[in-house]
Amino acid sequence: MRIDSQLYVAYLLRAYELIRANETYVTDLDLATGDGDHWANLNKGFAKLNDLSEELKTLPLNALFQKIGMTMMATIGGSSGVLYGGAYIAAGKKLAGKEFMTAEDLRDVLQEMLNDIQTRGKAQRGFKTMIDALAPAVDAFTAGLEANSDEKELLGSVKRAAEAGAEATKKMEAVRGRATYQADKGVGHLDPGAVTMAYQISALCDTVAETL
Amino acid sequence: MKKIINHPDLVVSETLKGLALAEPTLEYIPDVEVIAKKVKSGRVGIVSGGGSGHEPAHAGYVGAGMLDAAVAGNMFSSPSPDRIIEGIRRADSGKGVLLVIKNYSGDIMNFELAEEIARMEGIEVDHVIVRDDVAVEDSTYSTGRRGIAGTVYVHKIAGAKAATGADLAEVKAAAEKAIANVRSMGMAMAACTLPAVGRPNFELGENEIEIGMGIHGEPGVHKSEVQSAKALAKTLTDFLFADYDFDNSRVALLVNGLGATPIMELYILNAEVHEILKSRGIRVVHTLVGNYMTSIDMAGASVTLMKLDDELEELLLAPCRTPGLKIGG
Repeated sequence: MRIDSQLYVAYLLRAYELIRANETYVTDLDLATGDGDHWANLNKGFAKLNDLSEELKTLPLNALFQKIGMTMMATIGGSSGVLYGGAYIAAGKKLAGKEFMTAEDLRDVLQEMLNDIQTRGKAQRGFKTMIDALAPAVDAFTAGLEANSDEKELLGSVKRAAEAGAEATKKMEAVRGRATYQADKGVGHLDPGAVTMAYQISALCDTVAETL
Repeated sequence: MKKIINHPDLVVSETLKGLALAEPTLEYIPDVEVIAKKVKSGRVGIVSGGGSGHEPAHAGYVGAGMLDAAVAGNMFSSPSPDRIIEGIRRADSGKGVLLVIKNYSGDIMNFELAEEIARMEGIEVDHVIVRDDVAVEDSTYSTGRRGIAGTVYVHKIAGAKAATGADLAEVKAAAEKAIANVRSMGMAMAACTLPAVGRPNFELGENEIEIGMGIHGEPGVHKSEVQSAKALAKTLTDFLFADYDFDNSRVALLVNGLGATPIMELYILNAEVHEILKSRGIRVVHTLVGNYMTSIDMAGASVTLMKLDDELEELLLAPCRTPGLKIGG
């Protein structure tokens, strides 16, 4: 596995496509428990990254992550903007001097993002948030590395873990955000933030797997 | 909805533009929605900010003796870190910058990330968190107590301390002392209307008020029938006294309007609060009555007390000149 800035930007474009294709689905999920702006805000962030993609490809990895973080926090706004932005900036620090990421580096990056989101958002797994897609993906990544799995299989298991994690938010009670104030605390509804996190992890795994 | 606006999306930027035109020492920086002093202070910089809708907070407190820059978010939502970083840069004279943050989860996340990034840029930054509202321990938008009108005193004390030439740690310590000694309690009589929504954000009955309601319409302690000014003064100050011992001390008093309550009624409330304070042997050194931390066009008021020692009294009475507050000079 060898992920350089060029490949990472290819992933961003793929994630943008996947997000764009699911406008109605994600917005409907959000309207059930939140204020319905999650898709629009996230899409705005990825659209901006798409606009910047030629410039982004030329940046060293750490500068790329920093730039993605700054762009996301400025364009997505709200809690999602600062959580994604902070996660990318924190992960970027791990990439100083690296020209490309190995499988271990990518796991470390995802782990660092998870840590940052948990600390900044004062949230843990089980709170019905994006963490519920990211955390199981990081677990699967670590397990795959320890088992010396084939890299393609490893990426497949990370993707499935993220998707299953997002699906599992359906039965969770919200602890953070607007759904907390509903009588059912959002039980029975998927968390849109977990769903869009799973889209991103899925696009990342697919993009990298195609190069193997 | 009847409002003097052009478009809901332009409310924040046009507010700040108008503010800067009324105060020639201030500069409006578009897009990032920052109001900053045109000339840097050469001292520790003080930056505050938060969601819009609380005018004159926070931009109205930029000026000599108070804030160096204020950063506005959209209505009732935190500014993003890129905006805050610009505020920090504008306030930085190379002596460091103190951020005054109200205790709301969104504000804390955004200001703390801005602080981390500004440090990466080599600017020395620290922050304090204001949590003066004694109404509720946790709320819709906060873990722990909310920051409300007492924030005005924290701006004043921090700005006055910075003006003495104190270093960042000393300015922070003074701000922390103000925070430790300030308590607020409010009530609402009618909801506010966000320009983009166009209708009131909650309903109160014709003769109903809500004690302890937050400055974004978050739930308070309980609803009650309309009370006389005398009863209301007692209700609000009882919460303050139950939380902090102000007896036989000297204090600063702020009787704050939430936006739609006439100043006349605030003066009536002020007279009743003074009466109560006198009966408890509390000496009022300085009183402010007016709209200092509003909630758009919410009707209602809050009462803030800050217990003073020699240092806080001196810093409170030091001159300041801002659109929202002028003392001495």
